[in-house]
Formats: sequence, C-alpha cells, structure tokens
Amino acid sequence: MATLPAKLLRLGVIVSVLGGLYLVALKKHAERDEIRAAAVELTPGCKAKLESYALEPGADYRSPYVLRTMGAAKGIRGYSADDVRAIQRGCNIVDDTQGQLAKDAARERWNSGRFMRGKYASCDHCHQGVGDKQDAAGNRLVGSNGLAASWVMADMYDRFTGLLLPYELRQMQCYINSSNGFKPNAADDLLRDVTAYSRFLSAALDLKIGKHYAEQGVDEIPASATLRRGDDYVRGAHLYRQKCARCHGPQGFGTEVNGKVIYPALAGPNSFTLDARMNFHRVNTVMPGFICRNMPLGEEGSLDNQSCRDIGYYISTLPRPAGDKQGPLVAAWQRLMMTVMPPLTQYAESLGGANRPALQPALQTED
Amino acid sequence: MSTVAAALPRILPALRRNALVGLTLAVVTLPQAIAFSTTLAGLPPHFGLYAAIWGVLSTALLNPARVFSGGPNTTMSAAIGVTLLPIAPPFGSDYIGYALTLILIAGVIQLLFYLIRPLGRMLDLVNEPIINGLICGIGLFLIFKSLTSFAGLPINTEVEWPLWIAWQSLQAVLEIGNLYAVQIGLITLVASLAARQFDAVRNWAILIGVAAGTAYSTYLNRVHGLSNTMIEQIGNLSSIGLVFPSLPLFNQEAMSDIILLLPGALTLALLGLFQTVAAMRRMNRKIGGFTDARKGILSDAISNCLLPFLSSLPTCASFNRMWLVYKMGGQSRLTSIASALFLLLMVLFLADFIAVIPMPAMAATIMLLGANMINWEDIKPHLQNRREAVVFTASFLSVLFLDLFGAVMVGSILAIAYSKWEQAHPNISLRGNVLKIRGNIYYGSLPIIEAAYHRAIDRLDELVIDFSECYYIDPEGIRWLATAKAGRKVGLVDRRSGEDRRIPDRREGEERRNAADTTSTERRELEDRRAGMRRRTRDRRQHTEF
Repeated sequence: MATLPAKLLRLGVIVSVLGGLYLVALKKHAERDEIRAAAVELTPGCKAKLESYALEPGADYRSPYVLRTMGAAKGIRGYSADDVRAIQRGCNIVDDTQGQLAKDAARERWNSGRFMRGKYASCDHCHQGVGDKQDAAGNRLVGSNGLAASWVMADMYDRFTGLLLPYELRQMQCYINSSNGFKPNAADDLLRDVTAYSRFLSAALDLKIGKHYAEQGVDEIPASATLRRGDDYVRGAHLYRQKCARCHGPQGFGTEVNGKVIYPALAGPNSFTLDARMNFHRVNTVMPGFICRNMPLGEEGSLDNQSCRDIGYYISTLPRPAGDKQGPLVAAWQRLMMTVMPPLTQYAESLGGANRPALQPALQTED
Repeated sequence: MSTVAAALPRILPALRRNALVGLTLAVVTLPQAIAFSTTLAGLPPHFGLYAAIWGVLSTALLNPARVFSGGPNTTMSAAIGVTLLPIAPPFGSDYIGYALTLILIAGVIQLLFYLIRPLGRMLDLVNEPIINGLICGIGLFLIFKSLTSFAGLPINTEVEWPLWIAWQSLQAVLEIGNLYAVQIGLITLVASLAARQFDAVRNWAILIGVAAGTAYSTYLNRVHGLSNTMIEQIGNLSSIGLVFPSLPLFNQEAMSDIILLLPGALTLALLGLFQTVAAMRRMNRKIGGFTDARKGILSDAISNCLLPFLSSLPTCASFNRMWLVYKMGGQSRLTSIASALFLLLMVLFLADFIAVIPMPAMAATIMLLGANMINWEDIKPHLQNRREAVVFTASFLSVLFLDLFGAVMVGSILAIAYSKWEQAHPNISLRGNVLKIRGNIYYGSLPIIEAAYHRAIDRLDELVIDFSECYYIDPEGIRWLATAKAGRKVGLVDRRSGEDRRIPDRREGEERRNAADTTSTERRELEDRRAGMRRRTRDRRQHTEF
C-alpha cells in the first residue's frame, strides 16, 4: 500500500486534472454563450432568403410568401431576438456548412468542420436553394429535399431502419450518410440552429405539421420506374462526361475556386462515403432520384429515369471514403483506391477514343 | 437445538461479515444495474435490478465457487444494445421482446456449451493476457462510455470507433455539457476517491460518493428547481414488485428479425461464458481453490434460460464485484445470496430514496469501476514476456479499435498461434550420430525436423533418430519415420528402446499384454507399408504413443 504522501499526491493530481477540465468546460461554455449572443453575419444566400421571408424580431410574424400566394396572411407568434439569431445561424450553416464565407469558420459555424471528413460537403449541396428550392415563379419543386417540408414531418420513421427518428437524429443521419462525417451530439447548437431554421421555413411557407409535401426528401427512382434495361456503367460514363463533368470535374472531384467550393465532389476524399444512401450501390433509388429532379443545375428534369440510374451507377463506382462503421481495413483500402485510381483513370482516358465526347475544361480542379 | 445454540457464537461473526459484504455488494450493484440496463442495453431499469436480484441469486445457488458474483454485466448489456439497435427502437415493447428472445437464445447456446464438452473446453483457450487485455480495454471503454451521461447529454448510440467517439464526447462535454450535471459528477468522483484513501471507509467509497452526489443534486434542485437544472434522476421505481414475469417474443412476423439476432446471441453467450470462466479462473487462483469451470457454465446457462421469463438482463461473472468481495474478505456464497436479498428489500421498501439518485453520479460510479479494472499489478507480469506482451496489447487495443468479440478473437488467434509456433519448433540436437528430437513430430514440425535430418544424413553414414522424448506423433510423422527408417542408414530410438517407466494402464490391458511384442509389431508394420498395405483398423493410441 502506498504511503500517505504518495496517496495525497495521487489524489491531488487527479483532483487538479478534474478541476482543470472543469475550468476548460467553464471557458468553453462562456465562449458558446458569447457566440449565441453575438450578431450574426449572414451569407449572401441567407440574406436574400431571410429578407424575402421578412424575418425580424417582433411580437407577431406575417409571412410575405403566404401573403403573395394566398392573398392574406394570418399573424402568428413572432420571434425573439434570440430566436432570430438562431434561425440566422441555422441558415448560415445550411448555406455554407464549412464556413468558407465566414471570417472565423469554427466560431460562426459551431465547429461544423469537426464533423465533416472532406472540405467540400455542405447541406446546401443536396438541400438546394438554402434548403428551400423554388423556381422563378416561387413554386416549391418536387423532390428537392426541402427542409421546411422535412420539419413538418418532424418525427418520422426511418425508411431504411424502421427507427423513429426525431428531427435532430435525422440530421445526424445526414452527418453519418451524406456529409461523410461523424455526428455531433443531439444537443449540439449545430443541430438546434438548423432545426430552428427549418422550423421557421415551415412557418414562412405555412406548411402543416404532419402533412406530407412533394418537395420533402428525394423523389426516389426504383428500377421499376424505368423500362428495365438494366443499369449500365458505359452509358452512365458517357452521360456523365456529357452532362456532369463540366462542373463536377472529369474524375468527379468537384470544383473549388479560391478556397470556395463551387460544385461538390462526387468522388475522392471530399465526397460522400460508401455507407451513404447517396451511394447507388447501397441504396439504388436515392441518387437517381436526386439527379432527375435537381440536376444538371438550370436544366432540372431534362434527364430520363434510366439515364439518372445509369449516372448514379457510374458515380458509385468512383473511389470514395469508407463509411464510419466499415472499420479501419476498408478505410485503408478506400484511401489506397482514392490515391491510385485517379491517375490510372486519367492515363487510360488520355489514350483516347475517337468517339469520346470532348470534355469542356473544368474551371479548376483540386486533387 | 442445543447444538445449534452451541455453534451460534462461532457462526455469528462469519454470518455478520458476510452480511456486511452482501450489503455493500447490493449498494454497489444498484447503480450499476440501473445504468447498465438504461444506458447500455436500452432497457427499462427494472431489467438490471432483477438481474442483480434473481440473476445473482440463481448463480449463487447453482455455482459452487466460493467467491462468485453474477448479475448484470457491462459488456453483455452493451452487446444487447449493439445487437438490437438496428432492429427496434430502444425502450419500446418490440425492443424488450427481442431483448428477451436474444437472452433466451444466448442461454440455450450456453447450455450447448455445457452439453458439448469440447466446446466448453475451447473457452479455456483464452489465456490470462487476453483476459487482462479485455478487462483493461473494457475499463477504458466504460470511462469513455459514461462521458455523455456524466455531463447530462443524450447518448450517441451508434456504434463507431470508440476512441474517436470518446474524443468527440469529451469535446461535447466541455462545450455543451450541462454544468450542473458535471458538478454532481465531479463531486461524486472526488468524494469517492477521497474516501478510498482511508482504509476504514475504503469499502464504502462508492457508496459515499453516490451519497455526496445525491446530496448535492438534491440541494441544486431545491435552489434552482428541477426544470432549470435538468438533471436526470433514476426516477420512480416503486412500481417494481417481487417478480415481473415476461415472455420472449416468438412469432411468425418476428422470425426474420430473430434470425438476424443469432450472431448477436452467439456473441452474447460467448461474452458471458468467457467472463465467467476467466473470472472463476482468476479468482480460484487468488483464493487458492479450484472449481470446475463447467459448473460455472452450467449455472450461467440455466440462469440465462430462466431470466428472460423474469424481465431480467442476462447474468455472468462480474470482475469488479468479485474483486470487491475478495478485497472485503467475503469467503462464501452467502455474500452473493445476501446481496440479492438486501437489494430486493431495498427496491421494495426504499424506492423513494433511490428515485432521487442523479444519473451523473451513477456515471461517475461507473467511471470509477472502469478505472479500477485497469490494475497495474495485473498488467505488469504480462509486459515482462514479449509474447504475452503482444497478446495483451493486441487484445487491449482490439477492444478500443474493434469490438469485444473481435478482441477475444484477435487475442485467441494470437495466443493459439504462439503455442502452435512453439509446438512447430521442436528442440532438435545432433550429438555424434544421434539426432534427438524433443517436442512434437507432426505436420507442422516435420519441415524443421526434415531440414535437420537431411543436413545430418548428408554428412553421416549412419544416423539414429531419438524420439524417446516426443510426446505426440501424428500419422504423417509416423509415415515420415517409416520412410526414414526404410533408408536403412537410419535407426530409431523410441521410448521402449530404453526402459519403459510407465505404469501399465488398466484400460489398455489388452495392449499391454502385447507390449513385449511391440518391436516386432513395429517391424511388421514397416514391412507392410513397404508392401503397400495399410492397416486402417489399428487403435489410434498405438500410432501416437510409442
């Protein structure tokens, strides 16, 4: 048995370590409180979006959108200054998750970079139009992953696992599946602010709780929605070069200009993982559905169902990171593939084929 | 009557000591039982409590080991949560039904391990470094796992790389943890640690910590109100009665899911048995006794077949609680029986006091248990031998990087590989023209022996192969020896060429009668082989024992 001084020393060390951690916790909590109270600098996208919905602190709130579409808007309970800042921060997170437009990314985006594996992914890439995609006439688009429509289905059963998921846990699914990152805690401001923003959008669009709207989620395309020719890698590759490569790059690595991601990566280290539901080989209806309804930008709906499935098939064969739960071995293998395959593919493509459509030069590709 | 009265003064002190150990055990088990069932297994708290009552009682009655404590177990509870999470939402009725089914299947599998003797023997192949590596890994894992409930945060239930989640959880605790919860947890930790430094209250340290944490939590709730402090408490257990019968879920609809449960059930069964066998082994050596591990397997199997009908978690040996019993000087099964009865009384009559115990205090308790499991005295011997160090490190790291089952597998494969490697390298020495082989002659070691043999026979005209100190020769080895002997330059020395010191075995009386004739039998055999004839009907022992 240790002597008394040794015991006291050990106890002292333990207590001072615990005390030190507690002081760190106090400091971090104070920092968070400060950020919560600070004015929010909006991204251009959010400024336009929130101004169009006339978000201001006040006793009651009347939505301009409802006024425009319905002719009259009923006043609902307004938002406090705290609420408004939370909604603004949530909007910023959706528009620019990685904080590339922020002065201090970690501070203004609640350390979101910690939960994302790549540098590219942002909520806005799938939830387009800052989570509220509309056409020129202000119609909400089918299968556009609308956040407002998603919020009104707040607690829903996960279609793939059958679990009842609250809105926060569904956001965690995003972090696991589509943003190739590790998930934040369910009580984190990162999730709470996005929830606040989604909730505000549903109020601004006057969506009814529990109702299903067509813009919610992805309009999935199963094989039965095609002529069942089978999904084809070669057709997919051809279509990809024609329709997608201009923005997403010949290897699907996305486009980044001056440190800002213009077009997201579909392959490589900054892309979604093997475990993502966007990965055709995991769930083969989501990616085609997304492509058909939302891609290519500005020409939405120009691709037929089979083409979307072919493109999805092709994209899922490109190398990408392993999922969180696939373990270190798969991760290492995927890492190797992501390093080795692109140069090989590039070389093979440089050998050329006469009937290959010419690639438009990408703006600037990284990796 | 008078004899009982006369014996009373001798029995009473022992009885009182066992009762005290039992009471401490009950108090220590209580928060564990609730925490394991709610935070790890995703089941209502009464599951852990009934495991700590009926599970402990049935294993204590069935298992003759002197120091043995069954009841709810961390790794088994975690395995239930991990297995069921993809199948049903926690705390729901389906989830509970599936959990009971899972436990029942695991119990039946454990029964198979008792009935099929070689399967049970396989459990003994897990050696001390693996067990200690597992224990240390689980200890660390317990600390990580409690971080979120320590700070009153929701638990991230997805299974991921534990070290990464630990790091994320620590950052979450620092940034968004409920500071009231953190304070309660810290007070519990510090009070327990301080109490532990004094020998007089050492055994009560955990209890003192929980009391301090509960007192502080009650104070906070008085001052700020529960709705502001948002501290999670154990809650009302008064609805828990003597028994709560339950039925596992078996129906046509659930069958596809139940089939999905089978690998999880196997894992659960093995986790329990490994721990029981390993803990009995460790504790037997500590107290210098011996209890057949098969008795432990049987008691676990029967208990786990019964417990799903009593709304209870599965049971297996608990390292930390057995350690506690040993340290406090418990020497009898009475301690476990007493602890089960005390706990039953506490749950039946003290539910109001238990209800206000805050969760962060229990998380702190579990952290302490985890820290206790990492014991330098147990680790040190393994680091002095390179092979043991590798096995220990591998199984320790596997807990943190893979899962428990993976860790057991990695550890066992390494340990078996090492012992196989040892067997495949017999000690071969060449003295004069005698090639002496000590070890095994079998397919694995033959290449090594052949190499030495050919090196020797190239230089020597005549060679004697002395395998009198071999204790195992497989058919391939016999064929090789026969071929070597056929080369005519080679003589063989087996055990019977010298003096046979073995005591004749009664079972093999028939063989013994022919013993004098052995050499001629052998010669005949070699001739037969040369003629291309095989005797397939020979007794195997004659092949392997010379």
